[in-house]
Amino acid sequence: MSADPLVLSTARDLFAAYATPSAVQAAEAAGWAPELWDALVETGLPWVGLPDEGGTLEDAFEVLRLAGRFAVPLPLAETMLAGWLVSSVGLPVGREPLTVAPPAFREPTAPSVAQGAQDLWASMGSAPRPSAAAGVSLAQGKLHGRVERVPWASHAGRIVLLVPDRSRRMVATVRPLDVRPERLTNLAGEPRETIILDGVTPDELAPVPAGLDEDALRLRGALTRATLMAGALERMSELTIEYTNQRRQFGRPVAAFQAVQIHVVNGAQDAALATMAAQQATAAAQSGATNAAFEIGSAKLLASEAAHSATRAAHQAHGAMGMTQDYALHHFSRRLWSWRAEYGDERYWSARLGRAVTAAPPERLYPAITAGSGVLEHV
Amino acid sequence: MVAFEPTSLSSSELQLQAEVRAFLEEEYPGRRLEHYFDDHGGHDRAFSRKLAQRGWIGMALPKRYGGQERGAVERFIVAEELIRWGAPCGFHWVADRQSAQNILRFGTEEQKHRFLPAISRGELSFSIGMSEPDAGSDLASVRTKATHVPGGWSITGTKVWTTSAHENDWFIALCRTSQEEDRHQGLTQFLIDLRSPGLEVHPIPFLDGTFHFNEVVLNEVFVPDDLVLGEVGHGWEQTGSELSYERSGPERWLSTYAVLEALLSSGTGLPEIGVEVVGSLVARYWGIRNLSLTVARMIDRGQAPALHAALVKDMGTRFEQDVLVRIQQVVTVEPSLDAPSLFERLLARSILTAPAFTIRGGTTEILRSVASKGLRP
Repeated sequence: MSADPLVLSTARDLFAAYATPSAVQAAEAAGWAPELWDALVETGLPWVGLPDEGGTLEDAFEVLRLAGRFAVPLPLAETMLAGWLVSSVGLPVGREPLTVAPPAFREPTAPSVAQGAQDLWASMGSAPRPSAAAGVSLAQGKLHGRVERVPWASHAGRIVLLVPDRSRRMVATVRPLDVRPERLTNLAGEPRETIILDGVTPDELAPVPAGLDEDALRLRGALTRATLMAGALERMSELTIEYTNQRRQFGRPVAAFQAVQIHVVNGAQDAALATMAAQQATAAAQSGATNAAFEIGSAKLLASEAAHSATRAAHQAHGAMGMTQDYALHHFSRRLWSWRAEYGDERYWSARLGRAVTAAPPERLYPAITAGSGVLEHV
Repeated sequence: MVAFEPTSLSSSELQLQAEVRAFLEEEYPGRRLEHYFDDHGGHDRAFSRKLAQRGWIGMALPKRYGGQERGAVERFIVAEELIRWGAPCGFHWVADRQSAQNILRFGTEEQKHRFLPAISRGELSFSIGMSEPDAGSDLASVRTKATHVPGGWSITGTKVWTTSAHENDWFIALCRTSQEEDRHQGLTQFLIDLRSPGLEVHPIPFLDGTFHFNEVVLNEVFVPDDLVLGEVGHGWEQTGSELSYERSGPERWLSTYAVLEALLSSGTGLPEIGVEVVGSLVARYWGIRNLSLTVARMIDRGQAPALHAALVKDMGTRFEQDVLVRIQQVVTVEPSLDAPSLFERLLARSILTAPAFTIRGGTTEILRSVASKGLRP
């Protein structure tokens, strides 16, 4: 990994100044963090790695990991994802916050499952169904349908959708005012709104190049969540280490007790595992040799599993202090609980990985563990 | 925050991986996974020689001592393939993993020339002589006593849980050479021939009915001065470094891998939840392997990743046990050591031996204590 140190120090300084725990708390109450957003625009960080913007995919995802470490309360991941979609179809990226309508995740995609897995599945009477797109269709130039849990839909300059149009796919953008978002929030108090499109004419519409489909969006989205989660797990581990070494009970720092050390160590292990996995997945995605589905799926799965164990350990180690909004821990634990389910939860990714593994010959199991999507192409 | 920098294999390292895979494919056509890696796959002197001929034992040692100067990552690559195949490595494993490194770091020039080339040729095997009836995790309380006599030392005491002492050649024993105010002082490591007069090896039957565990009783065993390893009185520090770096290798997270591969080879139908469990396990193998590989890379860069290794060993050994639990939760099976199915036999042996994973090489509790000190702000 070799992200640009200048990009990283810019991001770190900016977040340290504008994404303090109290600023994150204030943003939750106000629904937006205007100063932080303005600073992001000034530095151009949400567009790092896009064509003509400078930087690499790796730079962008390292910025995102830092955003996770600071619980940045803005649609930074969404603006990055949307920027990737609109720039890949030649639409202007702009300098406004963007968001993306998440694709469907309830059923894994049929075309990417190898035949062996299909047979295995069919023999058990539950063949995977082809997934619907995000429930939006395009007819006579108008969009119809409904998408749930669109992050920051009402705050976005444009909402970006990937929609099927006969045999091809299109990137469409709409304005929040045209889709009447229904307010709903995730566990961290961040907007996850339902949008209803009843015959909305898209602001922009462009056909996508080959290879860009719902699954590419699922993977890129899952990588954003795995990366944000890695950052949040790291910060949560640091808070746990700091707190248990400061807090004294029975005349000693609580970190001196073996029973507390279990929580400290487990939190550090979860963070190390999630960060390693997210960075390896980013490297696989950046190399472009494969779709990196094995690495990205594994990274999101490990992060989602850690969302349970690491939040439990960190809260237990913090005692009542961790249960207040005055202390920063909740900024991370609540986001981890939210991100866990986004862009594929544990069941989605474990089923998808498991189907690919069980469809391949058993002697390819270990090569897949060492070489990932280089060996297991049809995850 | 403890940083694990991601690393990947270079083209020459991938070439080595391909060579080892081709060799094992030839040695074990049809991939018999009967060997189970808990006791390092069992003793097979001839197999160890074959590995040695390819330069895969003592790989990280300097060439002047018969090694290949190939480093920890390359040793990792060879080790993970041998383990996942269940290859019989019991003869050379301990000598290759830690005794040779220990001798290289602390031994005299004469000791290095005497032992290291023979280890690299796959001709000399070693056991570990740390634990005693009253000294396990608290190694500073060892009581085996070495008294200086003309020309050497007279050693009396008892070592336990000494894997393969009945068939290995030497062991490195931690003994008390003096009583000091600080009980971590006054300990010394000795290179001891397991066939020395006064030394007896008694088998201790293992939980699964196998015999690789032993008690080693030393009764006035004479060890000449030139077989003191390192400095007299500094055995504690030497033992600490012997334990720290090499403790997070592939044998700390792959011990039960054979069970998963045998399950997938067995034709046993998996329910949907079973397919999900396989997916979840594979993701974690991939993640932990990357962490373990990073530790090896850090060793090659001359870093001292004791904290990293402790974190990975603890995580890896608990995972090895979880693999068995999660398989049993989704496959209906009553495992037997003598079952007709390879999967069931491997599962049975693994269940019976799995509690050892989080005990040997540093218990989970000790590792957490080490790690939590290393993590202090």
